[in-house]
Amino acid sequence: MSVPTPESLFQLSSPLALLGWLALALNPFAPRLVQGVAMAIPLVLSLLYSGLILVHWAQAEGGFGSLADVQRLFTQAPVALAGWVHYLAFDLFVGAWIARTAQAEGINHLFILPCLALTFLFGPAGLIAFAILRLTLSGKVLP
Amino acid sequence: MTAAPLAQLTMPLSLFRTWPNASALLALTVLIALAALPILAAHLLDTRIVSDEAVWLKPLKFHAALAIYLLTLAYFARWLPDTWVTSRGWSIYLGVVMTCIVLELIWIDGAAALGVRSHFNITSPLWNAIYGAMGIAAVTLTSAALVMGIGIWRNAATGLPAALQLSIALGLILTFVLTVPVAGTMANALSHHVGTPITGATLPIMGWSREVGDLRAPHFLATHALHAVPLAGLAALALPASWQTPAVWAAAAGFAALTLWAFLRAMSGLPPL
Repeated sequence: MSVPTPESLFQLSSPLALLGWLALALNPFAPRLVQGVAMAIPLVLSLLYSGLILVHWAQAEGGFGSLADVQRLFTQAPVALAGWVHYLAFDLFVGAWIARTAQAEGINHLFILPCLALTFLFGPAGLIAFAILRLTLSGKVLP
Repeated sequence: MTAAPLAQLTMPLSLFRTWPNASALLALTVLIALAALPILAAHLLDTRIVSDEAVWLKPLKFHAALAIYLLTLAYFARWLPDTWVTSRGWSIYLGVVMTCIVLELIWIDGAAALGVRSHFNITSPLWNAIYGAMGIAAVTLTSAALVMGIGIWRNAATGLPAALQLSIALGLILTFVLTVPVAGTMANALSHHVGTPITGATLPIMGWSREVGDLRAPHFLATHALHAVPLAGLAALALPASWQTPAVWAAAAGFAALTLWAFLRAMSGLPPL
């Protein structure tokens, strides 16, 4: 049985995530559609991730116990792909939450764009940027 | 997400929600069916072979089979006596049955992830102990058919034609009575094959051998008594009233005989077809 290579799955998943980010950038124009897209894409990526882990985790070398173990995990292409898909899925999920929260609290979308760009490129850096912005503008950190 | 598209998404589910006494069984049906999605993803990404078959085929088959089983029980649950379904004992029993179903699937899915067998795996004391416990779980989850069959048998207020009610009760009871010895024989033999396949030729979808005896065929028949006999009961309603109940008994006996024949045929090493 032929299965897709890690390389081909990588080339499929990155544009898929990018589509979600483009949608989020345009959030104010069609918020309901954008939220649907930006939640559906992480779910599709999560299915891919779950499949990869179900197939490859048992044979994978390394683990979560030490930094060296984690590095060893990422030396195996299918596991590294799973890790990458994990980033894509969760970063986009956080991006969708940022756009949703900003809209609910009346934070101008132009302020949000740099936070979304940061989250897209550097995940947690975007989250902390939005947390700081939100605390400043809405006076809130917690839900 | 807004309320409107969500409501559209859940509409097919709300159709089932009108089924009386079935909410827990239906919830687990949906859960098991949806949990097959990541397994389907794994199936499309995996090249591993276990027991001459793609490793995730067995989990997919068990998710489908147990979802069909639960959906059938959920459908029949409307004809249970009211005093049963509101009792604390029924809730506890249903909880035990549903837990057994979940444990069975975790075992089968987990073994596939590890690339080892689930059933017939006695390669270590731990796997052997799990196999034994899962045998008990399998009998427990199948006992739900027996218990529901007895409940529907004894319910004087189903509002069903007598022959149809009898066929549903008999079908459910036969599922337990036929499945346990057939599946038990297979479990103790540590193989579903009777004989050693050479070419590995199998029937499509089912995967049953076309060369040697395969106990999965009588297991399939035995377990589907809960569909076959009620369908015969439905057909029997077209007969004159005095013939209906004897026809249901005859159909139940005939189906049991068919299952027994398939069982003996498999035990003698002959393929299902």
